[in-house]
Amino acid sequence: MSEATTGIDATAGTFEPRIQAFVCNWCTYTGADLAGTSRIPMAPNVRIIRLPCTGRIDTLFILKAFERGADGVIVSGCHPNDCHYTAGNFHARRRFAVFRDLIDFLGIDPDRITFSWVSASEGKKWSEVVNDTTERIRRMGPFSAYHGLAGRTP
Amino acid sequence: MRDLQDLAAKLLTEKTVGLVIGWEAGPRGARPSFVTDPKDAGKLISDNRCVHNLAAYLSPRRPHLRGFGRIAVAVKGCDVRAVAGLLRETQLRREDVVLIGIRCGGVHDTPTGVGPLTADNLADRCVGCEVRDPARCDHVLGELPPSLPSRGGRRAARIAELEALDHAARFAFWREELSRCVRCNACRQVCPLCVCERCLADKTDPPWIESSPHPRANLAWHATRALHLAGRCVDCGECERACPAGIPLNLIGRKVAAVVERRFGYRTTDDPQVPAPIGAWKPEDGQEFIR
Amino acid sequence: MSVGKEKPQMATDEHRLGEGVGGTTRFLARGDLEKLVAELLGAGTRVVAPVDAGKGETEYRRLASFAEAKLGAALPRRSLKEFFLPPTEELFRWRREGEALQLLETPAAHVATVILGAFPCDAAAVQALDKVMGWDYRDDPWFGRREATTIVALACNGQDGSCFCTAVGLRPDAVRGADLLLAANGEGYEVQVLTPKGRALVDGHAARFGAGRDTGSANVIRAAARERVAKNLQATPEKIRGWLQANFEHPMWKGIALRCHGCGACAAVCPTCHCFDIVDEPEGLYEGARRRNWDTCQTPVFTLHASGHNPRPDQNARIRQRLNHKFRIYPERFGELLCTGCGRCARACPGGMDLPELLGALEKLAASAPAPAPAPGPAAGALIPPPGGAR
Repeated sequence: MSEATTGIDATAGTFEPRIQAFVCNWCTYTGADLAGTSRIPMAPNVRIIRLPCTGRIDTLFILKAFERGADGVIVSGCHPNDCHYTAGNFHARRRFAVFRDLIDFLGIDPDRITFSWVSASEGKKWSEVVNDTTERIRRMGPFSAYHGLAGRTP
Repeated sequence: MRDLQDLAAKLLTEKTVGLVIGWEAGPRGARPSFVTDPKDAGKLISDNRCVHNLAAYLSPRRPHLRGFGRIAVAVKGCDVRAVAGLLRETQLRREDVVLIGIRCGGVHDTPTGVGPLTADNLADRCVGCEVRDPARCDHVLGELPPSLPSRGGRRAARIAELEALDHAARFAFWREELSRCVRCNACRQVCPLCVCERCLADKTDPPWIESSPHPRANLAWHATRALHLAGRCVDCGECERACPAGIPLNLIGRKVAAVVERRFGYRTTDDPQVPAPIGAWKPEDGQEFIR
Repeated sequence: MSVGKEKPQMATDEHRLGEGVGGTTRFLARGDLEKLVAELLGAGTRVVAPVDAGKGETEYRRLASFAEAKLGAALPRRSLKEFFLPPTEELFRWRREGEALQLLETPAAHVATVILGAFPCDAAAVQALDKVMGWDYRDDPWFGRREATTIVALACNGQDGSCFCTAVGLRPDAVRGADLLLAANGEGYEVQVLTPKGRALVDGHAARFGAGRDTGSANVIRAAARERVAKNLQATPEKIRGWLQANFEHPMWKGIALRCHGCGACAAVCPTCHCFDIVDEPEGLYEGARRRNWDTCQTPVFTLHASGHNPRPDQNARIRQRLNHKFRIYPERFGELLCTGCGRCARACPGGMDLPELLGALEKLAASAPAPAPAPGPAAGALIPPPGGAR
């Protein structure tokens, strides 16, 4: 596997986590933008995919991120009662709750995933979510157990 | 048994229905039976081998069962929950079906089971059953047998065992179990609540769930299937019974059901008016896992 | 096989009881079998045998030691085909670096394998599939594994009422597809050496194999097993083929699959269902693999067109296809049935579809309404034109 897929920088011998964030357009994406324009220092390990709403974040996206080489995932959107579409985050919250308990049962450490509410004004909170998640995943190491699920067949 | 045969013959003769779905004695134990001619109603049976949840045949995904007109279907108390699921999700109209409830004294864990029920051969889902007397049916037949053999819940015990393991060991366990999956889709096809016209797993552009039966895709499939059935699974156990690889799918289903009950206070019900827990929400739903 | 004008011969098992190729019969004591397995494992040979899979069931799995093997017990849940056509296999990988696209061959490493205690119906199925796998295109992964594998079959006692090998030209002690056939006899096994590969295995471990003994008692057991299975179903595949050929639109098809869920479990456990799908799966951003996976005609997507049209619109049409492929199309095309009577489909079906029962019904239909004689040869009825004559 190439470096791009595993996130392991073989030459340096250090592990840089690859973290995939799924965020809603209205709150967290804007909050992340604020963090950037405010020049708050943040770990560069997180790549963002913007969606209209946490209600649009199918939990399969999270598994897909792990399939394609992510070591950790961030899922973030509007605080309860702040949803641009009124209730998307309430719906999502139930699904995330079941998903989290399910993958825990299937042997995936839920600490691989950070769920957060980050509003448009919480640039600082976003940077903390990013930095904390990066540090936590760095301690946990690459998610090789998942990445190795479909190797070469003998 | 006789009253079931008589009722089926009557419903067909009077043309109340065009098809009666019940059980019959097949070459290998009990099996689903499809009666259109009142003269054939005599082959219907109802005994402790009638494991099958016949509500699966009411799913809209069975075009070859359309065209019979209204269908009468024999249901145990637990099967009514699957019918309620279809009604709740508007996959079935109540007036299109005649429900023949069968009072139930429990069933074997397989349709080939022989003899009286014991704690050993009783189907897992029958343990602690509260719906032996079916509700919301058009007809209810049979005597309520006095009691079920009793035993502890094997599945709850197995789930607890797995939960005592660390993540790596649990991941290894499921990796091994799911590596046997050949993605034949039997679990999906027999499920009375898997009603999608086009399953996510059959979509190829993009292929959200890879079709190859390697552990990576198998994990994505079974996790997704369990989630899509959260709050919908009625614990009929048909998926595990149908699985040609012997994967303990009921453990996943039961785990998710326990989560749904603990978090949202929802238990599978035969009342189609109770809203499904996924699709509904409350402002006070727990969010201890969200920063 | 010849695909010329001659009438295809339905393959039958011509081998007689107690006879080996060139009259070779050996004896393998149970203790020697254990040592044989240890020797094979020690030499790095992969040994596959039925092992316990819980709930009284078995599965063919790779052995770590002889102790795991459950010979002569329940018919394994799935057949042998997965050792030759895995449920998923990588055909090649690709990798993109900048503008360059690299194709990486998947190394064809077929480990030397001995399948021990194969059921005769499973061994026969593998040989039946050789025809389609080597027909218009030689399937290298299939034949690579075939060549690397020695199949040691064990005469079966008959499983239960769903067995019907005797109705499809085989029998519980059939030798088709096997390199050696063992038959339980007292403290060990009579061994019939059937092929050069089988002979190589025996010669390579000559100390383990004794001289053949009196096979009388083994033959009695084998004959009893045949009788037992023969009681389950009497059918004449030739007649059924003729009926299928003449009755594609028969009204009975409209109700054939009422109880069928379309789940495909039958195809998954079937030793001869061999349809596959080929998919490309990206892995990471810059590479991926092309894989082939089992597929089955029992799912709607198998025949779904891009337009949305589906020529097999419902389960009735799909079951008709399954029966036709096994009992008409394959025999027309390749001269043998695509069914070895193992009965797994009937055991696996959650809806109670029962192939021996269906065959019995077809047999009756064929008898009551004599169909026109089957078309003379493959050319007349074949759906696919033969590729360039005999082979």
